[in-house]
Amino acid sequence: MNYLWHMLIFISLYSLLSMSLNLVVGYAGLLSLCHAAFYGLGAYSTALLMTRSGWGFFPALLAAMVITALLSSIIAVPSLRLRGDFFVLATLGFQVIVFSLLYNWDNFTNGSYGITGIANPVLFGWSVDTPFRYFLLAGTISVVGLGLMRALALSPFGRVLKAIRENEVAAVALGKNVALLKIVVFAVAAAFAAVSGGIFAAYTQYIDPTSFMLSEALFILSIVIIGGAGNQVGPLIGTVLLVTLPEMLRFLRMPDAIASSLRQVIYGAAIVLLMRFRPQGIQGDYKFD
Amino acid sequence: MSEVTIECHRLIKTFGGVRAVDDLSVSFYAGQITALVGPNGAGKTTLFHLISGMVRPDAGEVSYRERRISNLAPWRIARMGIGRLFQDIRIFGHLTVEENILVAFPGQMGENALWAITRPVRVQRQERENIAKANRLLQRIGLEHEARTRAETLSYGQQKLIAIARLIATGADALLLDEPSAGISKENTQIQDILKHLANEGKIVVMIEHDYSIVQKIADQVYRMDAGKMTVLPTAAAKCPM
Repeated sequence: MNYLWHMLIFISLYSLLSMSLNLVVGYAGLLSLCHAAFYGLGAYSTALLMTRSGWGFFPALLAAMVITALLSSIIAVPSLRLRGDFFVLATLGFQVIVFSLLYNWDNFTNGSYGITGIANPVLFGWSVDTPFRYFLLAGTISVVGLGLMRALALSPFGRVLKAIRENEVAAVALGKNVALLKIVVFAVAAAFAAVSGGIFAAYTQYIDPTSFMLSEALFILSIVIIGGAGNQVGPLIGTVLLVTLPEMLRFLRMPDAIASSLRQVIYGAAIVLLMRFRPQGIQGDYKFD
Repeated sequence: MSEVTIECHRLIKTFGGVRAVDDLSVSFYAGQITALVGPNGAGKTTLFHLISGMVRPDAGEVSYRERRISNLAPWRIARMGIGRLFQDIRIFGHLTVEENILVAFPGQMGENALWAITRPVRVQRQERENIAKANRLLQRIGLEHEARTRAETLSYGQQKLIAIARLIATGADALLLDEPSAGISKENTQIQDILKHLANEGKIVVMIEHDYSIVQKIADQVYRMDAGKMTVLPTAAAKCPM
């Protein structure tokens, strides 16, 4: 049963990650390779506040959202004038920089040794210290987060993001402050990614930089691409499929080492085939081109 | 003479070694339809770019309602009331016809992410008002039955009407239209009627046009541009492409 709660916890975390990236990629049309950086900044902010400053989980999580949203402007502002491939490369650069800082800034982040001893959340005396309770926590927060993102996506804010995606020049000509809107969508996406990071940190009680590498950013992007971008359903389909894929491979009775590598092959093959035959993904509204 | 609203003073714009706009001064007036004619590459679209802020002039100034706008960002100029219809339409293809109009309305509370979450009732009330306004606009152009249709699935002519309706939805008082009748059959006078109506409402209407019959029919003032320079044409002379 614990394994079921474990799976559901990760489905909750990756739902938040994929839906927040969907706002940037699927709605605003900005192909970003740095979502794992926001995930990691949220995890580390939460962990550091809890272990170094003695903060409780929930205040630390809120602070992590704000910190990560503010730090997202470091990539958003310089990228405003960049288009297409150059923008993607800029996000890649940001991802690499964040990982490098987490890995090498030993005095602050403890480098490759990571951060241990992250306490369990306590809510009004109720300690979240079992997989089932973590599932309740992660599940509740993700439902609230998904609800907020859905409200944003269906609002005039979501509509103007789609207009930017379709034709940025036309959106400017309608009087839309496209630069500010891009900064805001990055900040919103970063804040929700930080929530995932904070819950992950508390659940695993140990984090290190290798959980937030480029490969993780590509995995989150794969979820959005395969499931489909630009609506409220595609990323959730992608999340369930890709998070449970290792379990599906178990039915093939494959050794774990091979299954792990085969998973990467399957992700890559799925993306190539989808881009060729169904570029909008399984249930997407937006084709990548 | 009507009140001067857009004034271009000694504008110069060079791309590489080519002077696209060459020491050009012109004024556009409210309540008039002004046509810009001339060969391809004459600088007409560049003039529109300079007025709307899409490019900065190398020299000279653009003023709108006696306020210098040459140094302003394009989105600010648009909010001040200068709207554009692009030659390549630039419809939001994956959005519905109704959404294309809705997105154009200015001052939408719901475009602020924080208010979209914290003031849902007020945002929804404004949204309902905007939907009613959008559908009235769609009735005006005869596309009310296509409101929920994806814009990219419609014909070129219908997309052009949507783009014009979108421009009207911005509430702009100055409309820069790049070849509004291109791709539309000569028998269809709907766009010409809309432009005349807009001018009668007191808007500035400036259009780049290659169809001289349309220029003859509706333009109050005609300028010819060639090699970045502008000359006034008597309206009757505009029927001969020179």
